Amino acid sequence: MKTKEVNFSLSHLFILILMLLSFSVGQAKTVFAYDEHSGQAIEPVMTAPQSEGAKIVSAFEYEPIEFTPPKPERVVLDNGMILYLLEDHELPLFKITAHFRTGAIYEPEEKAGLASLVGSVMRRGGTKSRTPEQMNEELEFIAASVETGISRESGSASLSTMKKDIDKGLEVFADVLMNPAFPEDMIRKEKDEILEDIRRENDTPRKIIFREFRKIMYEADHPYSRKIIGYKDTVENITRDDMIAFHKRYFCPNNVIMGISGDFDTKEILEKLNNVFADWEKTVIDFPEVPAVEKKFQRSINYIYKDVNQASVVFGHIAINRLNKDYFPIKIMNFILGGGSFTSRIPSKVRSDEGLAYSAYSGFHTPRDLGFFFASCQTKSESTVKAINFALDEVRKIREEYVGDDELELAKDTYINQFIFKFTSSASIVGQMVGIEYEGLPLDYLDTYVENIEVITKEDIARVAKEYLHPDDIKLLVIGDMEQFDKPLSEFGEVNTIELKSEQE
Amino acid sequence: MKKTRMKIFIISAVLFFCTNSFGQKLALDVREHTLDNGIKLLMLEKHDVPIVSLRIVYKVGSVNEHPGITGASHLFEHMMFKGTEIFGTKDYDSEKPLLTKEDELISGITAEKSKGNETDSKKLEKLQEELEEVWKAQKELIVKDEMWSIYLKNGATGLNASTGNDATYYYCNLPSNRLELWAFMESDRMKNLVLREFYSERDVVMEERRMRTENSPFGLLIEQLNAATFTAHPYSWPVIGWMSDIKNMKKAAVAEYFEQYYSPNNAVIVVVGDINPDEVVDLIEKYFGDIERQPAPPEVTTVEPEQIGERRVYVEYDANPVLSIAYHKPAIGHPDQYVFDVIEAILSTGRTSRLYKSLIEEKRIAVMAHAYGGASKYADTFIFFSSPRHPHTAEEVEEAIYEELEKLKTTPVTDHELQKIKNQLEAGFVRSLESASGLASEISSYEAIAGWRYINTLVERTVAVTPEDIMRVANKYFKKTNRTVAILVNNKKKGKEATHENKGS
Repeated sequence: MKTKEVNFSLSHLFILILMLLSFSVGQAKTVFAYDEHSGQAIEPVMTAPQSEGAKIVSAFEYEPIEFTPPKPERVVLDNGMILYLLEDHELPLFKITAHFRTGAIYEPEEKAGLASLVGSVMRRGGTKSRTPEQMNEELEFIAASVETGISRESGSASLSTMKKDIDKGLEVFADVLMNPAFPEDMIRKEKDEILEDIRRENDTPRKIIFREFRKIMYEADHPYSRKIIGYKDTVENITRDDMIAFHKRYFCPNNVIMGISGDFDTKEILEKLNNVFADWEKTVIDFPEVPAVEKKFQRSINYIYKDVNQASVVFGHIAINRLNKDYFPIKIMNFILGGGSFTSRIPSKVRSDEGLAYSAYSGFHTPRDLGFFFASCQTKSESTVKAINFALDEVRKIREEYVGDDELELAKDTYINQFIFKFTSSASIVGQMVGIEYEGLPLDYLDTYVENIEVITKEDIARVAKEYLHPDDIKLLVIGDMEQFDKPLSEFGEVNTIELKSEQE
Repeated sequence: MKKTRMKIFIISAVLFFCTNSFGQKLALDVREHTLDNGIKLLMLEKHDVPIVSLRIVYKVGSVNEHPGITGASHLFEHMMFKGTEIFGTKDYDSEKPLLTKEDELISGITAEKSKGNETDSKKLEKLQEELEEVWKAQKELIVKDEMWSIYLKNGATGLNASTGNDATYYYCNLPSNRLELWAFMESDRMKNLVLREFYSERDVVMEERRMRTENSPFGLLIEQLNAATFTAHPYSWPVIGWMSDIKNMKKAAVAEYFEQYYSPNNAVIVVVGDINPDEVVDLIEKYFGDIERQPAPPEVTTVEPEQIGERRVYVEYDANPVLSIAYHKPAIGHPDQYVFDVIEAILSTGRTSRLYKSLIEEKRIAVMAHAYGGASKYADTFIFFSSPRHPHTAEEVEEAIYEELEKLKTTPVTDHELQKIKNQLEAGFVRSLESASGLASEISSYEAIAGWRYINTLVERTVAVTPEDIMRVANKYFKKTNRTVAILVNNKKKGKEATHENKGS
C-alpha cells in the first residue's frame, strides 16, 4: 500500500499575502513590523518620494486582495516515488514534471557528455516496444509531449497532454523512463549532432564566455569545470553499454520527485501511476563521490582574442551553494548590486549613466556545491577597461558603505510583492515544490519566504557583502580585440592569454 | 421570419465551430470599449489568481520609419522608461532649461564638427566642456529609472517593452489591485514624456546593436536577408536600425516621431486577469480620457514590387555556415495566410515534421531546420533557417529543402497529417488559456496587425485548409523567381585550412 504524508502547508501564507497587498507599500511595512511571524520587529523605513509623481502614487490606496494559494498534496508511493499533486479543473489539461537525482557531475571525466547523451537518446531513441517513429507519431497526433534531459546536477522528464489522453500519455511517459532502447543508430546521430555543436561553439562570444569562465573558476579535475555536452574525444569514448548502465543506475522510482497538475482525480491518478510504474523497482543507488570545490581565491586576468568590435567581460570568484544560510540576504544584496535590472547599481552606472553597455549585471550561481559570484557586461572595445572599473568599483563600494534605505526597501518590496506570481499556474506551483525538495530546502520554504526577506537589514547586507564579495581576488575574463581597448588589461595584473582550441579538425 | 432563421443558423454555426473534442470553446470573450479619443480598450476576465496582465500597444514600428531615422521606433521605446514631467525628476522646472541648453550645445557641436578641416578645435572643446557641465547639473535632478522602480516595488513582473516591424509593446504584470497605479503612470507617459538621458541611451542602443547583430552571425545573416529581400518596402531595414542612423539620430526627430505615433488614436490597451470590466472602463476613462486625439498617422503606401528573379547573398564571417531562404507572401487578411500556417506546421512543428524527418533524421545533413510563416501587417516572407552538419554544405541543405517544397507542390498532404495539425492547433489554443500574460500578448499582437477577432476564427479557418489549397499555394509562391537566399560562409576557416594544406604539401 502507498504511504501518504502531507507535510506541506501553506496555511498561514494566505494571511501574509492579504496583508502585504492590502495597503500601499509603506503601510504594509507598519503592519508587518508587528507581525508575530516575523519574530523580530523592524522599524519601518519610509523613504521620502523624490518626485512629484512618486508622491502622488505613494498616497494611492489599494483594495485588499484575498487569495489562498492552492496546496499541493505530497504523497510517497511504496516504490519510493515522491509525488506532489495538485488538481486544477479549470482547463482539460494534464502535466507532469519530474526531477531525478543524477547529472553530468556523476560521469567519469574520460566519458564527459555521457549524462547529456543519455538524457537525449532516452527519448529520441524510442523504447523496447516503440520505435522512435511510432512514439513521435503517437504523441504528436494527440498534441502531447514527453521530453527528457540531463543537465549538470539533475535529470528531468516531462509529460504534457490533454485530459482525454492521460492514459496514453502516462503509458508512453512510463515506457520512456523505464524501457529506453538506446539504439546504436540513434546514438550515432545524436553524437554527430553534438560534434557539430562543438564545431560551432566558438562562433559567438556568448557561447564562449561562461564555458571558459568555468574552466578558470574550477580546478580542471572538478566536474564543474567541464562542458556538459562533452568533448570530441570523450563523446566518441561513450558506448551504448555505458549509456544503459548510466540509465539503469539513476532512473529508478526511489530517485525521482514528480509534480503532477491539471484536470485529474487524485485517487484515480494514483492508481494509474501505480499501474504504469508497477514493474519499476526500488534500487539502492551508489552515487559516485564528487570532489568538494575548494574555497580558494586567487586573482587572475584572462584574455581571449576574437575579431569583434565589442568586448565580452565577466569577472567573479567562488561564492556559495544553494543551501547557504545567508542565501536571502545575499539575494537582496545582489539585487541592489547588479541583479535587479535597471535599478541596480552596476547597470545603473555602466548602462544608464555612462551608456557603455546594453547588458550589464551581476549574479550568484548557486549549485549544490560552491558556485560563483560574477558580474558581466558587453561594451564596445574602446570602453572595455573603463566599464570593468565601473563595475568593480560598485563591488568595492557595497562592501564599504551601507546601502541606502531606499535601495533596501526597493529590493525587499520587489520580492515580497512579486511573491504572488509564484502561484500563477498549478504547474508552476507543483514545479516549485519539486524543485524545493530536490534542492534539499525546507519544505516550508514558501511559507517562510516572505519573512526571510522581511527581516533583512542593511547591517545584514553589509555583512554578507564583506563576507562573500572579494573584489581584489577576482578572476577576470575578457573576450575581444585588445588592440582596440582603451587600455591594456595589464592594468589589472599579469594577463594570461587563452588560445581558443578548435576541436573541429 | 427570414431574420430569425438567419439567427438560428448563425448560432448553430458558432457552436459547431467553437467546440471540439475537449468541450472547450475555442474563442476568447474579449470585451471591447473605445474611448472618445480613439484609445481601444480590450479586456478579458480570468479570475483564478488575483493578478492582471497589462499591455499597451502603439501601432508604430520600423515599418513607419524612413532611411535616415531607421531605428527611431526602437530608440524611442527605450526613451519611454526615462520618465515624464513628474516622474524621474526632482524638479522639472529646473531641469527644463538644462534640456534646452543640451540641445543647443549638441547642435553647436554637430555644426562645428561638420566643418571638416575648418573645425575650430578650441571652440569645439569649449562646447564639449559646457555640455559636460550641463549633464552634471542634469544628473543632480534626475531620479534614476524611477518609473521602473515604482513598478517593481509594487510587485510588477515581466516588466519590459519590445519593438517590432509593425508595433511597439509595453508589458507589465501586477497584482490585480494595482491597476490604478498602472493607469496613472502609463497615461502620464502618453501625456508628459520627457526625453532625458537621450544621448547616453543612444549609446546603449548602439551597444545593443553590436551585441545582437554585429557580433552575432545569425543576427547579421537575417539583417542581410531582409535587406536583399525587400527593395522598396520598409521591412528591408532592421528594427534596431542601421548603425549610422542610430549614431546620428536627433532628439528632435524622435520627439516628432512621438507626436505623430504615440497618440491615443494609435494606441490599444489590453487588460487580462482578475478584473471587473466596468471598473476597468471607469479607470481607463479617468486617466486616459483627457488625452487629445491627434491627426491619424500617415499610412505606409510603399508596396514591394513582385520579385522577378532569384537573389543570392553571401555573408562572410568568422563562424560556421547558416542557410536562410525567404519567399514573398501576402499580408495578414489574405486567405493564403491560413495555408501558410498549415505549411509551417507540416514542415517544421515537432519531431514528425517533414524538415526534421528528412534533413535531420534521414539525410542527416543538418542539425537545425525551421520554417516560419507567421503573419504581418504588410506583405512579408515565409522563411527557412538551417544549420548544416559538417561536411555537408549550405547548398546541399538548400537543395533538400527545395525537394520538400516540390513534394508540397505535387503530392497532396494526407488527411492524417492534416488531422494531426488540427489536433495540435486546438490543443494549443486550450493551452494558451492557461496564462494571463500569454493571452494579453496574443490579443495585443493580433490587434496591432489585424484586430483581435482574428484569434477567434484562426483555428476554424486554419483547420478548413485542404490538401488542394496547400498544393496551389506551394506552386504559387515557392518558385525560384520569388526567393532570396542568404548564406553565412566562414571567411576565416578557409584561410586556416589553406594554411594547413600548404604546410602539409
